[in-house]
Amino acid sequence: MALDIEEQYDKIYRYCFFRLRDRHRAEDVTQETFLRWLASDTYRDTGQTLQYLYTVARNLCADEGRRPTAEPLPEDLPAEGGDPLVSIALRSELDRLSPEDRELVLLRVVNEVPVGVLCRLYGVSRFALYRRLRGILKRLRERLEG
Amino acid sequence: MEKKLKTALDAAFAAPPPERKAAFLRVHRRRELDPAELLLTQAGYVRWWTWAGSAALFAVILLLAAGQESGTVWTASALTPLLALIAVAEWGRSRRYGMEELELACRMPLRSALLARMAAVGLLHFALLGLAAPILSLWGGGEMLQVGIYLLTPYLLTAAVGMELSRRVRGQEGLLACAAAAALVCAVGIWTRETAFDLYRTESASFRWAALALALAASAFEFVKTIKETEELRWN
Repeated sequence: MALDIEEQYDKIYRYCFFRLRDRHRAEDVTQETFLRWLASDTYRDTGQTLQYLYTVARNLCADEGRRPTAEPLPEDLPAEGGDPLVSIALRSELDRLSPEDRELVLLRVVNEVPVGVLCRLYGVSRFALYRRLRGILKRLRERLEG
Repeated sequence: MEKKLKTALDAAFAAPPPERKAAFLRVHRRRELDPAELLLTQAGYVRWWTWAGSAALFAVILLLAAGQESGTVWTASALTPLLALIAVAEWGRSRRYGMEELELACRMPLRSALLARMAAVGLLHFALLGLAAPILSLWGGGEMLQVGIYLLTPYLLTAAVGMELSRRVRGQEGLLACAAAAALVCAVGIWTRETAFDLYRTESASFRWAALALALAASAFEFVKTIKETEELRWN
């Protein structure tokens, strides 16, 4: 599988950032993830690269999250355009979601991780994943329109 | 999903730009092989006699066809299963010599290597058949498309049966079984020519298309099965 490493670096970093809420630690974990992947020939060209990267990143974030140095979400997050009111409403709705649901939205919608990879990552069926995601997105959409 | 929601979520999950990305990628980037490089690398591992045998058989097909007043096409058609046999013998080499486990431990996954070798040999054979079709069409007087079907159908049929047999029968017996299948397809080609049921008549056009479709479907099915089986082996 040909992997756009630059694109995936950004996506894994974004995932780590939202798990750890600390850009420096997120970048450390991102680099550690890629170093492990680069050192592992077994997973190269197996079509399971994304699953490998996200599994390693998730485990490393969990390890890192246990250390008592977590910082709060910085205030100066970059604005990526769009209506600021909509953004605030959406963020408040996202905050109401469980961490697992928030992670699912980030992985599927923002990072565009394929459904098959997510099913293997979470150990659920496609049906279960679609149903869960549909429910979350429905809530977010209602909030966005309301 | 609506673009509006996607854009809003992208914004909501925006992260500050990574600071060490460029430096990291400059140091640690490893170049991936592109498909053409993979094909060329693996073509180097195909045994020399596969290439030589294919070229020799192609020459024999043309020589035999050239020496005949009539029936140029069916002679060539009856010999193409032998070309497929050469391909199947190459594709099943790892399994025949019990080398799968060793190859699975190599840097290049067996599935990719097998795919590349199948593509390399297959492309050569399709090129040879593609070259033979206009020549035989010129000598035999038939339509080029029709000649192409005559050449391709027994080739694909033998390849399909050969792939199935080489998966089922291990070791040298597998190769013998493939050779028997190729001989059978050759014999069927000759037999249909010798009997009243002449495949090469214009009236048999629909039958020929159906046979080609069947052979294509069978070989595609066997190809996928072979690759899938190689994939399953990886995790054993």
